[in-house]
Amino acid sequence: MHHKQVKYILWALLALPLTACEDEFIGRDPVYSIDSENYFNTPSDYEKALIGAYDLLQPTYLNVMLGEIASDNTLAGGESATDVIGIQQVDDMIHTPVNDQLDNIWDWMFAGVNRASYILEFQDKIDFPGKEQILAEARFLRAYYNFELVKWFGPIPLKTDARFSLGDETTIPRAPVSEVYAAIEADLLAAIPDLAVTAPQVGRAPRAAAQALLGKAYLYQEEYAAAAEVLQAVINAGNYSLPEDYDGIFEQSGENGPGSIFEVQYTDAEGAGFGCLQCSEGNVAVGFNGIRNYAGPVFDGGFSFNVPTQEAYEAYEPGDARREVAILDIEDWAQQTGATYGTGYEHTGYFNRKYLARKGDSNIGDQNLTNPNNYRAIRYADVLLMAAEALNAIGQDELAREYLNRVRRRAFGDTDHDISASGDALRDFILRERRLELLGEGHRFFDLVRTGRAADAIEGFQTGKHELFPVPFQEIQFSNGNWVQNPGY
Amino acid sequence: MHRYLLLLLALCGASIGLTAQSFTATGTITDADNGDPLIGASVIVVEAASTGGVRGTVTDFDGSFSIADVSAGTELRITYTGYEPTTITVADNSPLNIALSPDVQALDEVVVIGYGTQQKRNVTGAVSTVDSETITDLKPIKIEQALQGTVAGVNVTTQSGAPGAGLNIRIRGVSTNGQNAPLVIIDGYQGDLGTLNPSDIETITVLKDAQAAVYGTIGANGVILVTTKTGKKNQPARLSYNTYVGTQESSRSLNLLNATEYALLLNEAYAAGGEPLPYPDASGLGFGTDYQAEVFGNAPIMNHDVTVSGGSDRVTYSIGGSLLNQEGIIGGDKSDFSRSTARVSLGLDLTSRLKLTTNAIYTHIDRRSLSENGLGSVLFNALNAPPTLAVRDADGEFSLVPSTTGLGIEVINPAAQIANTFNDYGLNKLNGQATLDWNVVDALTLTGRVGFNTANSEGRNFNRQVSYGGKVFDVTRSSVNQNAINDNNYSLDLYGTYDKAFGGNHHLTATAGTTIFRELGNGLFATGYDVPNNAFEFADISLATGTSPEGARDVGSYSYDERRLSYFGRVQYNYAERYFLTAMLRRDASTKFGPQNRAALFPSFTAGYIAVEEGSLGEASPVDLLKLRISYGILGNDQILNNGYIGSLSGEATYVFDGVLVNGTAIGALPNPALQWEEAKKFNAGFDLSLLDYKLNVTADYFINTRDNLLISNIPVSGIVGTAAPGSASPTVNAGAVRNQGLELALNYRQRLNNDWRLSLSYNFTTLDNEVLEVNNGTGFIEGGSFGVGQLAPSRMEVGLPIGYFYGYRTAGIFQSADEIEGAPSQIALGAAAQPGDLRYVDVNGDGVIDPNDRTYLGDPIANVTMGFNTQLEFRRFDFTAYAFASLGNEIVRNYERALSDVNRLDYYLQRWTGPGSTNEVPRVTTAATSNRVFSDFFVEDGSFLRLQTITLGYTLPLPIAGREGSSLRVYFSGNNLLTASDYLGYDPAASSGSPLGGGIDFGFYPIARSFLIGANLSL
Repeated sequence: MHHKQVKYILWALLALPLTACEDEFIGRDPVYSIDSENYFNTPSDYEKALIGAYDLLQPTYLNVMLGEIASDNTLAGGESATDVIGIQQVDDMIHTPVNDQLDNIWDWMFAGVNRASYILEFQDKIDFPGKEQILAEARFLRAYYNFELVKWFGPIPLKTDARFSLGDETTIPRAPVSEVYAAIEADLLAAIPDLAVTAPQVGRAPRAAAQALLGKAYLYQEEYAAAAEVLQAVINAGNYSLPEDYDGIFEQSGENGPGSIFEVQYTDAEGAGFGCLQCSEGNVAVGFNGIRNYAGPVFDGGFSFNVPTQEAYEAYEPGDARREVAILDIEDWAQQTGATYGTGYEHTGYFNRKYLARKGDSNIGDQNLTNPNNYRAIRYADVLLMAAEALNAIGQDELAREYLNRVRRRAFGDTDHDISASGDALRDFILRERRLELLGEGHRFFDLVRTGRAADAIEGFQTGKHELFPVPFQEIQFSNGNWVQNPGY
Repeated sequence: MHRYLLLLLALCGASIGLTAQSFTATGTITDADNGDPLIGASVIVVEAASTGGVRGTVTDFDGSFSIADVSAGTELRITYTGYEPTTITVADNSPLNIALSPDVQALDEVVVIGYGTQQKRNVTGAVSTVDSETITDLKPIKIEQALQGTVAGVNVTTQSGAPGAGLNIRIRGVSTNGQNAPLVIIDGYQGDLGTLNPSDIETITVLKDAQAAVYGTIGANGVILVTTKTGKKNQPARLSYNTYVGTQESSRSLNLLNATEYALLLNEAYAAGGEPLPYPDASGLGFGTDYQAEVFGNAPIMNHDVTVSGGSDRVTYSIGGSLLNQEGIIGGDKSDFSRSTARVSLGLDLTSRLKLTTNAIYTHIDRRSLSENGLGSVLFNALNAPPTLAVRDADGEFSLVPSTTGLGIEVINPAAQIANTFNDYGLNKLNGQATLDWNVVDALTLTGRVGFNTANSEGRNFNRQVSYGGKVFDVTRSSVNQNAINDNNYSLDLYGTYDKAFGGNHHLTATAGTTIFRELGNGLFATGYDVPNNAFEFADISLATGTSPEGARDVGSYSYDERRLSYFGRVQYNYAERYFLTAMLRRDASTKFGPQNRAALFPSFTAGYIAVEEGSLGEASPVDLLKLRISYGILGNDQILNNGYIGSLSGEATYVFDGVLVNGTAIGALPNPALQWEEAKKFNAGFDLSLLDYKLNVTADYFINTRDNLLISNIPVSGIVGTAAPGSASPTVNAGAVRNQGLELALNYRQRLNNDWRLSLSYNFTTLDNEVLEVNNGTGFIEGGSFGVGQLAPSRMEVGLPIGYFYGYRTAGIFQSADEIEGAPSQIALGAAAQPGDLRYVDVNGDGVIDPNDRTYLGDPIANVTMGFNTQLEFRRFDFTAYAFASLGNEIVRNYERALSDVNRLDYYLQRWTGPGSTNEVPRVTTAATSNRVFSDFFVEDGSFLRLQTITLGYTLPLPIAGREGSSLRVYFSGNNLLTASDYLGYDPAASSGSPLGGGIDFGFYPIARSFLIGANLSL
């Protein structure tokens, strides 16, 4: 063979794949994968994405737990003084911008905002019957997550009907609190008419959930007349009631009951691990609240966090049936039942009974992270007390007393403990009632802050600083000067 | 033309033989240097292949031989290990005096360099080899072990001492926070070292510098080229059979407190915490239970392998099989490993210019494993279980470690844990290649190759329903997890090599070609609940009757299809065999990279200059060869997540509607369309020096490797983009740089002392200086690893410091008195105010308080210096080898002690602080809150060690079998991992997870076994 021929063959062999197949060979689509930017092609796509937006409600267990620990209701507890240092610091009001749990709340709530915005970003792609309901739920959820964010961190970045993308942290400013509330109100006002009065499935938001949240948002801004109006709409619609048995509310059988306007749904159907607490389908707070090394009836054990203080225990009047429901006196219980338990850090002898692990669930691993106890996020009693507070503020004490006393009559089983005060005294009673009715449910710290009573109640609380939690240190760095840290941190 | 001449000569020789007179040839074979007779040299009559059979003999004690029935013109080939073989032609029956020259370190040895070979003398990159003799000496269970201590610049760490556990190879350090494993090429195709049978391997070549650039985007971590054994032409069938059996034991047990010491220490801790004494009467507790003794045991190991190889003048073949069985020193057959392999290798000269070589390897691996190296692993439990607790209770059941605050919810009875562990893993793998070489014209060869790997594995894990009494390991519902994974890949190579000398002193070798690589596979995972009889025999999904509650997914799967298309060219030029220059260029297009950076170009060059050659400095000069080398090149690393440039709906969207789990869709990891390869810039300068008639060989290299565009996966980004959602993740971004620089030196000395003694010594060392140059993620650092429970991440990658360094509090002794605490910065932010007897932390930032901002560098897991020292000594028929390895300057974190009041402890607590002046080292014990358990240098230890890896003593018996010259039986006794000198308190300073961030943290590593073997090598 001549050299020339060889050369041609060689070149032909080498050139063949070079020209023809590179684009085809390398430009393959990933196997079995759905591109996120080419979605929302069927009604089912919207429904599936909505599930994703609801999913981030489950990580609000941390907001609930930490909101309680930050307040005067409970102490951090845990195994030792260094067990989950971020929680310990919040309890002691010595938290700094470097705090994993606060970082989690920031990250998880924004993840929720983004999942809701993902749907709204593609809201016009196709039309189908029932789309309004889905979009309305997405707006409710975005408002819910944004409300958590504004409670914890104050000013936050906002983006209308689009996901945040990388780089937005350096360009989008932290909107003032008033603008955040305006966005929350806009989402809820848009959602309310489209939401079904009775949610299409248990666990999805009914109209009253959006109304109650809107009322709460008004209350936080001290827009009492607006708050009273929307909260009274919930009450007057008559779709909810106070179950007589306060104890039953927090048991498995009481879930999604007549007194529940909105519950964060949890289940023990799937395992979970510490590597991804936000992935758990169970209520992680319940395992954290659990009695350390417990062996005995009714309850399952846990990590002994979030332990009620003696002061909280004593805040209940004699005859108030809610104390035994909200707070478990473990020594007493052990004596009655022969149960055994361990003592963790800051052991007070009390446990947050509403959200303790109950026996009877599947205990799938890690059993402390998969407790199925739903979080009763918006209870009718909460709505009554918020309405009472708003009405009192606009001078309608009679109706305010009526709502307050409805809650008290259930607690005491009689009318002997009705409140007859008016004006500021009535306001004090209403706020005290909120603590007792909602103890262990994560509202206390923010109620104290918004009413200006935190500094008196919480040891270490510095006015002008601790009303807000610090924006995570990393976020300030990521913003590259775009965001300024909250005052005092 | 040459070939025809030879053939003609051979034919002539044969025809002469037919007619000539035959006689007996006699002679003596001696050492050319000192005239000593050589005993046992083989003398073979070279005859035309057609006559069949082989005639020959070996020399006796005087070095003399005689061969009957030869004739004038008969060729005799004389070979002797360590000497250059020679062929002589017999003229008549007068005695022959044949002097053999010692083998000059085989400088004409050929080294594989990727898409070709090169004479060792001409290699200009940093290239090291390990030959089959070294592998035979070391008898590695897994081939990676043969690289430890034998090659400068290569460090091998074991992930665990459990049989079959993986090993990590790092060539010239850790360069990335991602995948640091080198590329492995087996006979030209991309493969995997982990499944190979070590005795199938002929040589291992390690490309450490820009020499690897011919592999472009996959070569940045270095390249390991494996050549498997083949037959030799014109060699009758030879059989070799190797076997060993032995026993293994733990190389170490830790000094834990016995029951009495434990009880007394607990009493002291409880008293200090103001609590009632748990053991008011500690007398009569005695030594209690030694949980280490309960979990460790002697375990057998056994290996057989057999190979038959040979060849005619056109065909070579090698066929082999092997079987290895190894039980674990923890749990026996609950952590065992078995590997069986079969291999066929065939070489065919289809025509004089067309050659086919092909081989295939089948591997079956079976493995069982125990929980190891983590919170809740078997050893963790053995170290923390209270010695006062008997292994079994009065009923013969395993005792339960009480679920109390002091013992936590993770510590369980390790013996029960072993008994309740059931799993099985099986792998079947077939890999191989077929290569066609077409020598088109004398100067040009075209090569086509197909290489493939196809593997399927099955895993099964049975979770027995069991209660440990309220621990996190309680299983309330039995289940069985099963998985089936298929991994396949193939590569197609097509390249031409043009090799031509011209103009007298010019020599050019040019190589150009293309490689197509594709890997595709899938995995299926499923779980069944409620296994019949709660027993492993019934643990199959087909028998399990239950499922998860509605909506929970009991199944999962994944698939992948990744491709790479590459073109490469290499020009090697030398002038007068003294000046060498190589230039390489490779272009890779890969599905790993985003559309903005789909293809990459990787250039490199190497150059060499032979400054001194044999004789060029005169006869008296001791220098035989001095070669100077330099290289620089750019390589890539593409070992990153798949499809990182596309946003997909791979997130988790699971919620509860109507009381039932519902699954939706959500966005997965954020995409980065600009995703590209990591870029390694490799500089190397070195020399090779041979002295004293090639008895002493020195290789030295200095290298600087800078890795840019590190692919930092899950890079921390602002939480507002939603990356913390379940199943989501931050994008992978090219955002970091790491530099490794160091010095490598390898010395080899071979000396034949006299006729009886031969000695070979080798020593190598590597220094490594690792520094992170860039972490461009906003915070300037990346965290990793874990320490204790709920503590801040202990490992960091941060600019100016070694990758994965330990980050925590520095201590300055123990507070001896309240007065000392008075003047010291408050430690309350760490969890508790200091008391006398507590660790005193250093206020690093000087702000007057001790808080997380005072954390600082506490050491790093990267050894500053590693070295290997290897000896071979032969005395007549005895042989002795010893291999040692040392690692200096690496730190290791002691993280197997659960920070709870009632767990057992190491006996250094006997020297705890008990009062002013008692000690300044070990803090007091108390059940009260202290900040003594935060991650500090108290838990960081010097992990330097010297390990005697192997000692072997063998005796070789020649087997006088007619027609089977060179047959021998060698028997040996060998000890592995006999001795480790280290100050480390834990089991094994050498074990590491291998993670760039979080490596060197010891959760209770499964220690490497010490083994004693007796073995035999039969060669027929």
